[in-house]
Amino acid sequence: MADPFLSIQHVKKTFGPTTVVDDFNLDIERGEFVSFLGPSGCGKTTVLRMVAGFEEPTAGSIIVGGKDVTRLKPNQRNVGMVFQAYALFPNLTVAQNVAFGLKVAGVAKAESDKRVAEMLELIKLPQLGDRYPYQLSGGQQQRVALARALAPKPKLLLLDEPLSALDAKVRVSLRDEIRAIQKELGITTIFVTHDQEEALSISDRIAVMYGGKAEQVGAPFEIYNRPATKFVANFVGTLNVLEGVVSDAGSGRVRINTEEIGLKGKLNGSKTGDTLSLALRPEAIALGPRPGHDAKLSGEIADVHFLGSVIRVRVGIGGSKISLDTFNNSSTPPPNVGDKAEISFSSGDVLVLH
Amino acid sequence: MKSGKSWAWVTFILGAAYFFIPLIATMEFSMRMKRGEYSFEAYRVVLGDPRFQESFTFSVVAAVFTIILGVLLVVPTAYWIRLRLPQLRPVVEFVTLLPLVIPAIVIVFGYIRMYGSNSPLPFLSSDIGTSALLVIGYATLALPYMYRAVDTGLRTIDVRTLTEAAQILGAGWTTIISRVILPNVLIAVLSGAFLTFAIVIGEFTMASLLNRPAFGPYLQNIGANRAYEPAALAIIAFVITWGCMSVIQVLSRFAPKSANRPN
Repeated sequence: MADPFLSIQHVKKTFGPTTVVDDFNLDIERGEFVSFLGPSGCGKTTVLRMVAGFEEPTAGSIIVGGKDVTRLKPNQRNVGMVFQAYALFPNLTVAQNVAFGLKVAGVAKAESDKRVAEMLELIKLPQLGDRYPYQLSGGQQQRVALARALAPKPKLLLLDEPLSALDAKVRVSLRDEIRAIQKELGITTIFVTHDQEEALSISDRIAVMYGGKAEQVGAPFEIYNRPATKFVANFVGTLNVLEGVVSDAGSGRVRINTEEIGLKGKLNGSKTGDTLSLALRPEAIALGPRPGHDAKLSGEIADVHFLGSVIRVRVGIGGSKISLDTFNNSSTPPPNVGDKAEISFSSGDVLVLH
Repeated sequence: MKSGKSWAWVTFILGAAYFFIPLIATMEFSMRMKRGEYSFEAYRVVLGDPRFQESFTFSVVAAVFTIILGVLLVVPTAYWIRLRLPQLRPVVEFVTLLPLVIPAIVIVFGYIRMYGSNSPLPFLSSDIGTSALLVIGYATLALPYMYRAVDTGLRTIDVRTLTEAAQILGAGWTTIISRVILPNVLIAVLSGAFLTFAIVIGEFTMASLLNRPAFGPYLQNIGANRAYEPAALAIIAFVITWGCMSVIQVLSRFAPKSANRPN
């Protein structure tokens, strides 16, 4: 593999006695779009701020394009950043905001004007150059912030929860736009979010963070389908967790409530009598038998939620409630609460959490 | 409900009477210089007096320098306190309030002892040095107003994020303060500047004890020796002060609107 464009090596950050980021390592290729995903306080924004230069790592180093930038000031790094609160300069027009970085860099006026026009075209707001930030909607302001960050042609683009302050519809359209622009420019990008759907939908890779560490780094498909830890499995997507007891380690039989399923090859050295946490995604479970599903459990319908195209059904099995999704079919009414039900799934879809 | 509204009007009329009757009386008196008729004779005499023009010009120039010194001192300090040292804010607020509790006479005697001709910094050994010391003293007197005005202005913008946004775009501290912070607190700075102007124009103690030809000592001198001119001067000073306040109001309409709080 070629040298990574951005390399975050053994980075640690402490604030007084609190360690916020601990031995964080990540290599990012040129042109890659990587998301830092995690709950509040997991250290994702702190890592981003260290890459930007706003925080100095307590230990470790940050290499960009082969150059150690760990101790460089933010204004010496040639990095673009978009903030959650837009951070447009209220006293400047849209065009002046976009031109700010170019003016600071001493770019000639004609060239700066040309670049500003290009950027406004890129964000599809060429007619709003003379407006002030307060005259724009949230989505427009964030687009301008993106154009301002990209205008000086930064080596790296950092996006700090740029969509959090926007309403749901704008969020989806803007995230697609951000991804399209990133692909068009081929700029290496780090995107911080606590929204898993956002991260899964636009990233080349995701670093799921918890407690200041990267729990797992991988492609969205891999993160969702093969979570490496219990935290990743729980944090990314909806997950049903069931307690099971290994009834026969040799044949891979596991007892859940009063029924047994076979999980051969998944027990990872567990012994007979061990208790396991087993996880299943709602979409991997069917109500009733289905071809290819080799495991089944019996229970009772606990509740039914009509969500439009999908009906989410919860089935009580022992002390647990298992959620499963079925497509809405106008000719088949949803099940009734209290009905007996059988659920089926493929044992291959069961995740054994460690 | 109706009686509540009547009481509000009664209170307003009483307040307005308390404020305007002395003003009208002073104005009326100032116009009786010529026997048997109302005239602006007292104003003509005052405005035509070369000492009025000299002392007023001196005080205006001193006010301009005081404002420049105040802005250079207060804007970076208040900005830095908000950005990096918020824990020091109560201490700085206390220090900026001291000129309100320490009388100007104490400050000026301190200056006379500290900066006399035998001092390593002999401000008082020349006129220009004494005037500079007077400007420094005025800046101290105006500190509570200037600091509070600027601090309030800084509170209306997201100082930290705007600073970081400018930094990541390559700006250094001078650019950040001059192109991002100052323009966004300009109205607050102007408020502080006009309050400073009003203080400097009427200040007597410092100018008198440092023996500078300022407007305050001139006002006192006229007041002690003339009848109608002091009343005319009081009205002129009042108009200047209200003019300053009106300018603040007018300028505040042109304040840059915050991105997050459009109104």
